[in-house]
Amino acid sequence: MTRTTKYLSLFSMILLAAILPWRNYAENPADTLKLKEFEVKSKYLYDNNCFKRVKIDSAILINHLNTDLSGILAQYTTIFIKSYGIGNLATPSFRGTTAQHTQVEWNGISLNSPMLGQVDLSQIPVSQFDGLEILYGAAGITRTSGAFGGVINLVTNPNWNNILNVLAMQSFGSFNTFTSNLNAAAGTGSFQSHTKFNYSVAANDFPYYNDLLKTTVRQQNSSYRLYGMSEELFWKLKDKHLFSIKFRFNHNDQNLPPTASNYDTHHQEKQKTQDLFAVIDYKYVEKKFSLLVRSAFADQKMNYSLDSSINDSHQYYQWINKIKFTYTGIRNFSIRPGIDFTCDQVNSDSYNGVKKRNTTSFCSEFIYDIGKKVKASLVIREDMIDSKFLPLVPALGVEYVPWKTIDLAFTMNMARNYRYPTLNDLYWTGSGNADLKPETNYAVEGGVNYKYTSGNRKFSVGASLAAYYSWIYQMITWSQVNGNAYLWKPENIDEIKARGIETGLNFSIEFLHFVIGNTSNYSFCRSTYEKASSAYDQKIGKQQIYIPVHTFNNTLTVERWKFYLNYNICYVSDRYTAKDNLTVMPGYSISNIIFGRNIALKKIVLSLQSQINNLFNLDYQSLVDRPMPGINYGITVKLALPGIQR
Amino acid sequence: MKEKYINSYKFLLFFSLLTLAALTHSCSKTPIREHKVDPPDTTHITSYANGIFVVNEGNYNWGNASVTFIDNKSNALIQDIFKKSNDRSLGDVAESMKIADNLGYLVVNNSNRIEVVSLSDFKSVTTITGLNSPRYLEIVDSTKAYVTNLQKDISIIDLHTNTVSGTIKTNGWTENLIKYDKYMLVTSIGTFSDPSSKRRAQIFVIDTQLDAIVDSIQTGKEPIGIVIDKKQKVWVLCSGGYDNYEAPSLIRINPELRLVEKIFTFSNPAEVPSRLCINPTADTLYFLKNGVCQMPVAAAVLPVQPMIASEGRLLYGLAVHPATGHIYVSDAKDYVQNGTVYQYNTSGSLLKQYTAGRIPGSFCFTRNSSK
Repeated sequence: MTRTTKYLSLFSMILLAAILPWRNYAENPADTLKLKEFEVKSKYLYDNNCFKRVKIDSAILINHLNTDLSGILAQYTTIFIKSYGIGNLATPSFRGTTAQHTQVEWNGISLNSPMLGQVDLSQIPVSQFDGLEILYGAAGITRTSGAFGGVINLVTNPNWNNILNVLAMQSFGSFNTFTSNLNAAAGTGSFQSHTKFNYSVAANDFPYYNDLLKTTVRQQNSSYRLYGMSEELFWKLKDKHLFSIKFRFNHNDQNLPPTASNYDTHHQEKQKTQDLFAVIDYKYVEKKFSLLVRSAFADQKMNYSLDSSINDSHQYYQWINKIKFTYTGIRNFSIRPGIDFTCDQVNSDSYNGVKKRNTTSFCSEFIYDIGKKVKASLVIREDMIDSKFLPLVPALGVEYVPWKTIDLAFTMNMARNYRYPTLNDLYWTGSGNADLKPETNYAVEGGVNYKYTSGNRKFSVGASLAAYYSWIYQMITWSQVNGNAYLWKPENIDEIKARGIETGLNFSIEFLHFVIGNTSNYSFCRSTYEKASSAYDQKIGKQQIYIPVHTFNNTLTVERWKFYLNYNICYVSDRYTAKDNLTVMPGYSISNIIFGRNIALKKIVLSLQSQINNLFNLDYQSLVDRPMPGINYGITVKLALPGIQR
Repeated sequence: MKEKYINSYKFLLFFSLLTLAALTHSCSKTPIREHKVDPPDTTHITSYANGIFVVNEGNYNWGNASVTFIDNKSNALIQDIFKKSNDRSLGDVAESMKIADNLGYLVVNNSNRIEVVSLSDFKSVTTITGLNSPRYLEIVDSTKAYVTNLQKDISIIDLHTNTVSGTIKTNGWTENLIKYDKYMLVTSIGTFSDPSSKRRAQIFVIDTQLDAIVDSIQTGKEPIGIVIDKKQKVWVLCSGGYDNYEAPSLIRINPELRLVEKIFTFSNPAEVPSRLCINPTADTLYFLKNGVCQMPVAAAVLPVQPMIASEGRLLYGLAVHPATGHIYVSDAKDYVQNGTVYQYNTSGSLLKQYTAGRIPGSFCFTRNSSK
């Protein structure tokens, strides 16, 4: 039996190898390194505090260190990712809102460009952060105004027990994709240093069937090179004072491919981005109060060129300051007042002169425990842009925990929110519209969360359900100017009503030395136009374009004999491409599989991993006319010095 | 220990078989592509030689340009005839269409090509490439045509081979063009990437026998439309610049003397006129500005009110039927849904309306079209 099994497995591996073209390896190979066998902890942490907050911890991220943020969000959350192709612009859509309604933060500092108001998730490597915190809807008001969809916070945390931990990783993928990472953490019980380097390069010239040319061609002008580093220093003094300095640098040279209809072997379109973020934090912690003082600086340069016709440079600087005080000295009551001050300065070829904006934001959270079962939270935010006050942004939430011993919580909240126009909306030459009003959002939400972990910790389950209803008024929409196809202008045109349900279910079980985990997420979202541009406009009550009604993802992980298998499937339903809902991109599901093994050598842990993306080789487009790669492969080799811990 | 390895092989086998199963399952799915929600139009037409083509630009970079056909004989309305006849999409941003002999020339701007189709069945005859972001095509004679481009030059098309046979260097964006005597008058906007202040707006006078620019006439910023009236005067509509650099203007040029004779300046720079057309008797101008405006060539002032009010519609394309003088105007709505084409008679009464494709921008009438 043993011999037969061996030969069968060998044969099937050879057959597999023969089928997989040797030149092709994975696009974004993920990798896994488990320093201890069966190190599966709670992967999803719910910390609602009256609002919906979800954390994705490093146990999930460690499997995907070579991907970018968009891949993680698509596979593990209900956030819909609008992708222009691998390595190309990827933007999030929460709860039927647009990318500009999502704020992405790194250690509490906004990464959203003040020019465009959004973030390209494809430019954020997962290797640069340790955990993800997602604040849905009104939960985001504790951080900022204007994030109607929510806030995604990328967190890095020190491990005070660490003495030395080094990780080196190299992966090879299809279409000449190479990714290298080097992470080192060293320190003492009061001082920690984290240093991370990442480098990715890809030809990204995947083959696809071009409908216009009726033949299979290779994607043109799609290569990219991305490198970056981050350094974080943490210093703790008597458990009362915590200083940290964090620094993050990224450089991205990206060729932008033509659409399938505009296939051109001579296409030349490039974007170069270079950004630097630096943040210094001081936290003082006493028994009944704490104080956070933060100052940060951001500098982003971007150059865009198209053939010889366009060559524009843009640069922005941001100076971000925050003071937040938390007081818990009153029984059952805590208060968290704070003030943020942000100064934006933009120097762009597309603006007439340098543009500046100062935003001062006063915010306070009041949390009151009404008895042992009910908690109420009130968040009030008041923004002042330059010297003009915006209307008040309030959020009120209630949480009810009926049983002491059962981890079950019901939440309900409501909020009003505003989003101020971006600097591009206001100042883009020829298009900028100084008369734009802020967008307004009203939202209500209710949810329930349940968690259970068995006494021996071998079984755990978590489930969540949230339902929301939200209205956006005076939504800013860019559209072509009448009579001039080349000129677009932003206006407060649309009114959107979004409502939906989000569910999550995850479990983890250990039996017969197997560790099996499964996480599923499903979202139902109806996001409809509620205002017509004229009596002839057909869009009232129709689903917003590119917002799927259903999204679902499921990830199954199986671990045994130091092997691990991770099978992920993501489904998005039909997405309309016309506001009258007469044209549609059909729904699809994509499967990805990761298989690997950890090998313990004397002082080093060697990990070998293979990955197959788009397992069923689906010929698909996520956005009209933007081809996506078919089946592709990856191999990752990882070497780790197991952490020396005190 | 040995048992553990055996189990490892089992697991490996399981995984390999799973992957093999997945691979053999592949390649059988229908490609995920944009399509219409309604079932395909099955209206059968034997020929496209008698009717009106509505050229729907489609959204920039979405590759959803199309052509809607209004058949004169059967009164049928057929959507997306290019795709129907050729089983592929037309491309990205179809700017205009022109007919020469029994061939249709569809200028697809962002796909940087001209699709040449037979008018009998709308099947592709050939595709002209080697252009520089083409805009409009005008026939010079039975042997050649000129195509304006957003960049660099004007392309000369050999109508026998349907290839680019040469270029006339312009160093910038040329837009509309019209034949006058042995000359082609071409509106030139300037360098595409420059702001209006730096752009040099002019009319190029091209000697079609020499294929060379022999003269130029300065105009207001962004000359986008050009027509000739019954007295052989040339009318040019200037938008004033995309950044509202100056007030829009309508100018009259004496092509013989190559002199600007008259300038009508629009009072509100923010209200940009577009789509200059002329009626079959060449005595009345039409253009879009808050609706469809009508202006006799002999008028002393610009029209105050539009003859057809926009009534909240986003009027985008305009054409006057060369035989009937009927006015065809399109509503692009909010650019992200199907547009509508309205047909008015010469006095501005609505006759009919037709559903079109995405962003109907221009029209092309067959020679015997008399609808």
